[in-house]
Amino acid sequence: MMVAARNGRTAVRSVDLSGALEPIDDVFDYDVVRVYAHHEGRVVGFTEVANRGEGVSASRLRESLVDSLNIRVLADIDEDLSYALIVTALAEKLLPGGPEEDMAEDLPLDRHVTASVVVATFDRPDDLRMCLGCLTGQQVDRDVEVVVVDNNPASGLTPPVVAEFPSVRLVEEARRGSSFARNAGIRAATGDIILMTDDDVRAPAHWVERLLAPFGRPDVAGVTGNILPLELEGSAQRLFEAYGGLGRGFRRKEFTPAWFEGRRSAVPTWEIGGTANTAFRSWVFQDPEIGLLHEALGAGIPAAVGEDTYLFYKVLKAGHTIAYEPDAWVWHRHRSDMAGLQRQLYGYSKGHVAYHLTTLIDDRDLRSLHYLAWKLPKSHFQRLRQSAKGPSPYPIKLNLLEIAGNILGPLAFHQSRRLARQAGAGPQSAATNERTET
Amino acid sequence: MRAAPDFGTSTGPPLHRRMSLTPTPELEPMTDIELAAVAAQPESSPPNVDQQERAAAQEPLLQAGTAFRPVKVLDLDLEQPLVDLDGLYGYGAVQLLVRLHGIPLGYARLPLTNGRVSATALRKGVLAEVQVRAVRHLLNDYLGVAHTSGPGSARQLVGVAHPQDDLALPSVTVAVCTRDRTEVLERCLRAIEKIDYPGLEVLVVDNAPATDATRRLVAEQFPQLRYVVEPLPGLDRARNRAISESGNDIVAFTDDDVVVDPLWVGALARPFAESDRVMCVTGLVVAYELETEAQVLFEKYGGFGRGFDRHWYTVDPDIRETLPPHVGAGRFGTGANMAYRRCVFEEIGQFDPALDVGTVTNGGGDLEMFFRLLEEGHTLVYEPAAIVRHGHRREYAALRTQLANNGIGFYSMLVRSAIAYPIRRRAIVRLGLWWLWHWSFRRLLISFLRPGRFPRDLILAELKGSIVGVARYQRSRRQAARLDRGRRPSKQPAAPGAT
Repeated sequence: MMVAARNGRTAVRSVDLSGALEPIDDVFDYDVVRVYAHHEGRVVGFTEVANRGEGVSASRLRESLVDSLNIRVLADIDEDLSYALIVTALAEKLLPGGPEEDMAEDLPLDRHVTASVVVATFDRPDDLRMCLGCLTGQQVDRDVEVVVVDNNPASGLTPPVVAEFPSVRLVEEARRGSSFARNAGIRAATGDIILMTDDDVRAPAHWVERLLAPFGRPDVAGVTGNILPLELEGSAQRLFEAYGGLGRGFRRKEFTPAWFEGRRSAVPTWEIGGTANTAFRSWVFQDPEIGLLHEALGAGIPAAVGEDTYLFYKVLKAGHTIAYEPDAWVWHRHRSDMAGLQRQLYGYSKGHVAYHLTTLIDDRDLRSLHYLAWKLPKSHFQRLRQSAKGPSPYPIKLNLLEIAGNILGPLAFHQSRRLARQAGAGPQSAATNERTET
Repeated sequence: MRAAPDFGTSTGPPLHRRMSLTPTPELEPMTDIELAAVAAQPESSPPNVDQQERAAAQEPLLQAGTAFRPVKVLDLDLEQPLVDLDGLYGYGAVQLLVRLHGIPLGYARLPLTNGRVSATALRKGVLAEVQVRAVRHLLNDYLGVAHTSGPGSARQLVGVAHPQDDLALPSVTVAVCTRDRTEVLERCLRAIEKIDYPGLEVLVVDNAPATDATRRLVAEQFPQLRYVVEPLPGLDRARNRAISESGNDIVAFTDDDVVVDPLWVGALARPFAESDRVMCVTGLVVAYELETEAQVLFEKYGGFGRGFDRHWYTVDPDIRETLPPHVGAGRFGTGANMAYRRCVFEEIGQFDPALDVGTVTNGGGDLEMFFRLLEEGHTLVYEPAAIVRHGHRREYAALRTQLANNGIGFYSMLVRSAIAYPIRRRAIVRLGLWWLWHWSFRRLLISFLRPGRFPRDLILAELKGSIVGVARYQRSRRQAARLDRGRRPSKQPAAPGAT
């Protein structure tokens, strides 16, 4: 509704909604016209037009009435004639016989699109055997290759397992670190879409197709899936779930560049997923703005995590969308020994800080400063207070371990960068331009 | 590298045969009116060469190595049933200007899969974007026709006819101001030829031409159009020339780098017929194409669009608000799509040639005129049904120059307004500072805090232009005065007091 001018002289007129509306011409001495709309002896409502001494044309009167009364201009409106019904009728007119209720449509992914699954492993032959068993038994509609990267060729434990699966390719990467290993796998992969998983997961037979399905939408550059615990036998495994686990919920989500840019504090890219269940279009790794996984982040080096979140960060920053698809889940076997869990959480805490330092220094994202200096200490403080109040499922010891890890994060960041440099981490994306051919 | 995967061939006939959409091809954008003709074309008619080439060079979906993919710009008419959109190879998305009875309702942007989007996805995406305006449009139409019984069913409401009010339309002159750009001018004039409006006069104002290419183009290809030369350089001088040459009630201005809609003049003229107090009507400017990253960036930056709702603007001359709403005149429209009742210039003066594209102030004459007209108590109508399609700059460097010029022009125009209307000085200074903060500094600051996709150098270019612009107006005025002394007695009433 137009706002009346202050102290504006206001004319009062009325119109009958059952006839075609006529212009109002006799209001030249007024600033505002208030028009009451009536129909068959009932007043429906009113509108005001700030005419400022002009006549009000029929079209302007109609617009103002629709502005103020909206659907009530259909004066003797059927009780059933709602806004939604009008939209449905319009939809029916636009596409007669189209699906009425569910207008959602999944764009199918062309079956000519190929995929590669990259599995990095470090001396876990039994886990790897189970994992490859699942991967080679996938129900797929397209060409899918499996690439295993042996991150410790010296031990000789991995090749015999891979030899049991003739269709699986083996790539060696002696430089220590999960990012080095996965990057070697990505370079060797030939698929249009590259899926990544770990040696300690079991993938259901529909995993590959379900994780690929959102790529039917061309604006999706990456997809992550849900990661569920394979077993919760020991307390270490239960504690890992209490820590947060790896699952990201059972609803579909979408992480867009707008989400990335709109945040005032650091973007919580760790909410998107993890390398145990994720897929990207292969050009993502060739895009100079994105590149491969960051070699100074990831398991096997002091900054033990963050290579996946940093990849998400780069993809979103470059303006692409990542979809979370809970229907594509995998089962992950958490560590069963307490010492292993503690090492893992300690490494995660160091890597978390190292990730933020990377976005701060490499990407000049000042939001990470806000996160490190304010949000992270605040959340630790809150959790400690929670533990002090009473018994908590998450032991205070692990809280303190996380804090120690966070404090030593900058050191780990420095060490990891030096290690990666010594190991010969190349420029981020240039190396991918020679994706090997087999 | 591996050979590109084979995605199979397109299954349907070429795009233009299958749908009721308006592609914007190289020279002649088709229009709603032509759509029926296209749909009725026999199958044996020669297919669009452009489409054929694209189909031959069918690009694989996953080949792109960089982020940018062009966006196809099309019109979508909701009076026609929807069909699959196909054959748009190489495009990442389609941006539809959704219209009902020729009136724009909004944009719908949909991603394309291998050059295709299905009718079902189209319907969902389009209705999600425009359903509110579509229903309002239908209600509006319902009020325009006499009806004894009620609306009955939703289906009847959807089928209601669009009322045409019986208005005495004024006589109109379309003025195209151009300088040595015959390649875009030809495209512009071809589109103007398609306008069906009684007694329309078209005037091509050739502004300080370096060659006679424009004169020859008009003489050879468009002999029915009037051609005049304005020897002194400057867009505002060309506009003033058009005002003096025209004998009609209304002068509609446009630039040579646009393609007008066939309904453009009719939509611009109607508000003038609705009220004698309306002195200026501006319209919607949409992108002609989004083929390059610079063009997409320009739209992202703000573009020229001013929304899809009609507005009537009047400023009560007695209002002494600290920040009257008309001071930031950019919201009312742009010079590529505006029309004036010619008699208003006798009262408030003509365009200020010191605010000219081509002078040191680089533009701003259009915005200054909106401000002056409202300040003098007249009515301005923004009418989105009057559509022109503007060819944004294709090159990044040209975009940067344009944004810098926007800054210079806007602040020159503020200085000019402050000199001419001392009573508004405080408001103008406040607005100038607020805009500098809100539009430039704030965005610059955000670009440092968090990475974004909008290049920082563009923000900096406009900021620099804004600061430079404050000092430019006086210099430009002296230059303009020199030019005028050299030729004819100044015809510039309402000239600013202080010089």
